[in-house]
Amino acid sequence: MAADASASTLPTRFKRPTFIGGLGGIFVILLVVLLVKEATVSPSQFAQTTLIGVTNGAVYALIALGYTLVYGILELINFAHGDVFMLAGMFTITFGTHFFGLHHGQGPVTVLIVFATLVLTMLTCGSINAAIEFVAYRPLRGAPRLAPLITAIGVSFIIQDVGLAWKGPNYVTAPDVFPHSNVFSVGGVNYQWNHLIVVILTVPVLLALLWLVQRTRQGKAMRATSQDKDAAAIMGINVNRTISFTFLIAGALAGAAGTLYSLWATTVRFDQGFQLGLIAFTAAVLGGIGNLPGAVLGAVTIGLIQSWNEGLPWHMPGSDWTQSIVFSILIMILVFRPEGLLGEKTPEGG
Amino acid sequence: MSANGNGAAGGVPILEISDIHTYYGSIHALKGISLEVREGEIVTLLGANGAGKTTTLRSINGLNRPRQGTIRFQGREITTTAAHDIVKRGIAQSPEGRRLFPRMSVTENLEMGAFQRNDKSEIRSDMERVFELFPRLQERRHQKAGTMSGGEQQMCAIGRALMARPKLLLLDEPSLGLAPIFVERIFDIIRQINEQGTSILLVEQNALMALDAADRGYVLETGRIVLADNAAALKTNEEVRKTYLGES
Repeated sequence: MAADASASTLPTRFKRPTFIGGLGGIFVILLVVLLVKEATVSPSQFAQTTLIGVTNGAVYALIALGYTLVYGILELINFAHGDVFMLAGMFTITFGTHFFGLHHGQGPVTVLIVFATLVLTMLTCGSINAAIEFVAYRPLRGAPRLAPLITAIGVSFIIQDVGLAWKGPNYVTAPDVFPHSNVFSVGGVNYQWNHLIVVILTVPVLLALLWLVQRTRQGKAMRATSQDKDAAAIMGINVNRTISFTFLIAGALAGAAGTLYSLWATTVRFDQGFQLGLIAFTAAVLGGIGNLPGAVLGAVTIGLIQSWNEGLPWHMPGSDWTQSIVFSILIMILVFRPEGLLGEKTPEGG
Repeated sequence: MSANGNGAAGGVPILEISDIHTYYGSIHALKGISLEVREGEIVTLLGANGAGKTTTLRSINGLNRPRQGTIRFQGREITTTAAHDIVKRGIAQSPEGRRLFPRMSVTENLEMGAFQRNDKSEIRSDMERVFELFPRLQERRHQKAGTMSGGEQQMCAIGRALMARPKLLLLDEPSLGLAPIFVERIFDIIRQINEQGTSILLVEQNALMALDAADRGYVLETGRIVLADNAAALKTNEEVRKTYLGES
């Protein structure tokens, strides 16, 4: 306990073996060469897949931020987070179509309905996430770290089963309300409004989140709590309330992601949270778990890699291999750069 | 137990602890501790590692609640008050191991000390005051707290506690791991803070320095108070001299 705190928090000068560093460098160079080759083989397709990748990345970013926020404050990988995102898709369908009568071709009123659905879904999912923390994680606050982790996996299954019971085992269709007309169409590269809307709606959410964490009193409390809970408490910070608030925000982000994704992909199924959640988690680790801009960077990177892999014409492995590639990245990051692209090295090494 | 003229010890108790029993998990760490701090006093807790000094402080600040007994601050019971409310009542702490926020700057750490206050301009002038006490902190104000030396971190931790404008300041091992020149300096500042009207409860390994600064002292052994007296009397007490002042 009385160990010198300065020693453990000083950046440790860890010299990576040059062999491994060299391997990593060669790998990155090969990737760049491959991309350049792709871009010259079919420039328009390359541009097209890049745009789709950015859109994917925007959705992943919203989910990844939830993982990173919760990890930052509790050092807990909240496996249930992806499933809250899935629930958000279902709530979007329920709120949108059943409450507000949202359907294709309603004209300008669509904007209002989508916005109302978005806000309502964010509120609902935020509350659900905070409730999950209260019921499932708070009683385990003093327990070894493995206990809440396993609980999180349990909660994930419970939510999937709720989704299964609620909307059934098949894909549920969400109303296709985003316009499919082109924003621009240059030299065979088309960018459609339904993609752009996702990106346009994601950016302000991200900026608002950064502002909240870095500028507000509540954000200060969040940062202090994430760095030292006991110290935060004796500063007068209500630690439990701060943690609840963090889960609320993370849930609201999952809600936003769920609404955007379901209206964009127009389908929702009970198990989609698992897969997208894992991809988003990988993105959070890639960027440096606990680091907000890192989560966005990681998410866009993963979105691009996925989209390039699935859409580029010249000797790409194709969509069958997307998950293998994503998880190979996860493994390589954990081996070669566990702190992620933007993460700070911490005493725990992650 | 009257004051010994070493400080401005008033008569009114600000903190009264009576017969508290505190546990660490299943370990019975405090077995009926009673002590008091009066307004304007510096009181020190002496004792070997594991005697219960830090646990006593954690019982007061709400991080480790006693299962039995009562703690009263300015006449009001705070035994079961949440830790984040206790600082609002006027008890601040520089905890064991400093516990700064390592990835925040010095300025941000000091701001966190004033988290429960709303008077912005007053907070600014208090920060100036902390920088006057510790000019070194002003030089380092943009540096991340986790990257500073032990002595600088200690100053920052004490400064952070002062930012709460406490009526009672709990200091846990302020001299631990510091170079002798820093130790002298820290104790000067402790006296200075006390003269400006803050009561202090001081836990310290360096018994000689602590007894020099304090008005009164308590000696703890395995969760019990075995001695309580004026600092001057404790300094001449044979047991204390043998055990804590390193004389044979």
